[in-house]
Amino acid sequence: MEHWFTDIAQALVNWLMGLGLSAGWADFVLLIVQWLCIVMIVTINVIILIWLERKVSGFIQLRLGPNRLGPYGAFQTIADAIKLLTKEDIIPSRTDKWIFMTAPLFFIVVSVMLYAVIPMGDGMQVVDFNVGLLYFISIGSLSTICLLMAGWGSNNKWSMLGAMRAVAQMISYEIPLAISLLGVVMIAGSLRLSDIVVAQGNIWFVLLQPIAFITYFIAATAELNRGPFDMPEAEQELTAGAYTEYTGMRWALFFLAEYTNLVAVSALCATMFFGGWQGPGLPSWLWIIIKTYLIMLVFMWMKWTFPRIRMDHLMSFSWKILLPVSLANLVLTGFGLEFFKWMGWW
Amino acid sequence: MDISLADLAFIILAGFTLLTALGVVLFKNIVHSAIMLVFSFLGVAGIYFTMHAGFLGLVQILVYAGAISVLIIFAIMLVMNQDPEKTNLPSPNIPNIMAGTYLTILLVGALVGSIWFTSFPEKVAPVSGDELGLLTGLMLGDYVIPLELAALLLLVAVVGAIILARGAEHK
Amino acid sequence: MYGKGLLKGLWITFKHSFEKKDLVVRYPEQMPHLQERFRGSLAFDFEKCIACGICIRNCPNNVLSMETAKDEDSKKKKLMQYTIDLQYCMFCNLCVEDCPTNSLYFTHDFELSQFHRDDIKRVYHRPPELDQQEAAQKTSDQDTQTAADDKKEKQLRAMINAINKNPQKVLARVLDGEEQVEVLAAVLMADEKKLARMAEMMITDKEKAKKVALAFVKKELKEREKGGDQ
Repeated sequence: MEHWFTDIAQALVNWLMGLGLSAGWADFVLLIVQWLCIVMIVTINVIILIWLERKVSGFIQLRLGPNRLGPYGAFQTIADAIKLLTKEDIIPSRTDKWIFMTAPLFFIVVSVMLYAVIPMGDGMQVVDFNVGLLYFISIGSLSTICLLMAGWGSNNKWSMLGAMRAVAQMISYEIPLAISLLGVVMIAGSLRLSDIVVAQGNIWFVLLQPIAFITYFIAATAELNRGPFDMPEAEQELTAGAYTEYTGMRWALFFLAEYTNLVAVSALCATMFFGGWQGPGLPSWLWIIIKTYLIMLVFMWMKWTFPRIRMDHLMSFSWKILLPVSLANLVLTGFGLEFFKWMGWW
Repeated sequence: MDISLADLAFIILAGFTLLTALGVVLFKNIVHSAIMLVFSFLGVAGIYFTMHAGFLGLVQILVYAGAISVLIIFAIMLVMNQDPEKTNLPSPNIPNIMAGTYLTILLVGALVGSIWFTSFPEKVAPVSGDELGLLTGLMLGDYVIPLELAALLLLVAVVGAIILARGAEHK
Repeated sequence: MYGKGLLKGLWITFKHSFEKKDLVVRYPEQMPHLQERFRGSLAFDFEKCIACGICIRNCPNNVLSMETAKDEDSKKKKLMQYTIDLQYCMFCNLCVEDCPTNSLYFTHDFELSQFHRDDIKRVYHRPPELDQQEAAQKTSDQDTQTAADDKKEKQLRAMINAINKNPQKVLARVLDGEEQVEVLAAVLMADEKKLARMAEMMITDKEKAKKVALAFVKKELKEREKGGDQ
């Protein structure tokens, strides 16, 4: 069980080498196969996640959620996906056509790129980058451009407002997000995500860095544009924010990307604070799936509990509370580390 | 000629960067130019990656593509009040064109000259082991004072910008 | 303490997600309970309608329309077709409120969606039973008419016979003096038409018969006087 996927990958490489390919090209083919797997995982995950989200929201609101199609409404999302695939792709006439059309594509590409560095099990990482965490944060910051493209390209005031809010919010919350993760990096002594996982062999970093965890969680919610920080979408005032003009598959791509980001951020949270793929008994890849899903459930729980926060409160919360707290945590961690070293406990 | 995978990657990335940079200059819509600028930054970041400077490439993406370009796009959007298709036309002013041409010749000349007169070693020895650690050692060890000075400069710039935007209080 | 409210909210939603979900009506299997005055789809009772058109004039959205024809016999408006175009209906109740015969009413049927726009329209054609019924009504009316006529004729003949047989006794019902009765009897015997009229009047309207009889007698007496003079 533990080595299923690594064994498959090794077998594939061996087979390719047996066909006479050089090691570099075999690795290249393996990389492509891994990407395809990631895209598949992302798509299937989104189908499950949308169903889960609707179920969770229903339960919280004393409803049943989808329960018509299949057992417990499990096929509802599949039906929705088919509907979206077959829908007409409407491009409004006065949009900035190329920007409008390519924005969802870039958005989904950026979201899928996040998965390159996430350790999805023992030795199951597409690229074990020595600055994996920085990679995650910087690639994540690119999604602001995609949202801005969508908002600008739509040539619609709601879209533009939504995009501007999204960008302002994402840029503001990126800073506390990165700084809160720095505390973990200081303890682990590496930006390599697999090193960070290994460093949590004895104790999860959520226990060593509780403040960092809380700030990360809040900032990540804002980065994902999820409730209670879903100002960019704010259905009641902006219809759907930057996605207002999108239809059919392009809209579905945005949706896909949002949930892809959710999974990625939750997986990063599990990796950084909850010991990643480490856990007793079960295989490593199952552990990270369990942890990621539990964190996502908490995200959903928060989304359906709290009301939306006003835009200026959102911004002042980021700059006046979250950023000082995460900076203080950074300083505290530094002093703590030195203190521990001085006492000889580290 | 023998082309390795790394060479191929460099050629593709350099071509991409140049094309997008040309796009920045030639597009008539300045928003398109700004988005091309983002791609150009990404291309430069890709070149850093091929040279095993992952940290630098990621900082390039985070700071330039993720933040600075958004600022540029915001600034463009906020001040633009005419037909977007005519926002990035060449200047009709002859002295402007002359100045631009002069500057271009100067820059290209300086670049070509510096490449021409520098003696590149045949093969740079690859950085052994932890290139990130080396970079950190340089930045926070030998060059910590310039780094902190640069940070101070940026801080002063931010404070100045806020004062300009909000207006200083006169007592 | 900051965040206490947030935790409280999270705890409430957490509890809610494990509560029994019996607040919702599982609709297709379980119909919702509708109040008595619930306004579902508009329905129409063809037999009650008198084609007055008040509903059509009241409707703010031109939902209602009807086709009428003139009945040949009775010169009355006859409703041929009544249309409710429910897609425009806003269920304002103005038509139902003002219908004098309560032929329009709201039902509890709320499943109004259709695949085609035309299916939303409800057209009520004149039911053929209604025409048959009307025809039956008419013939039965005629039957009773003829029966009544027969009866009248019989009565009339009986009266004429009675007058012929015993003019003194019968005509005493309309005139007082014996002399007058005799005069009248003579007049009536002489003229059969007058006899028939008198008999009919005696059956239907006694007062009129009395007046007419008096007039007859006076005329006869005058004529007799004239004749005597000559």
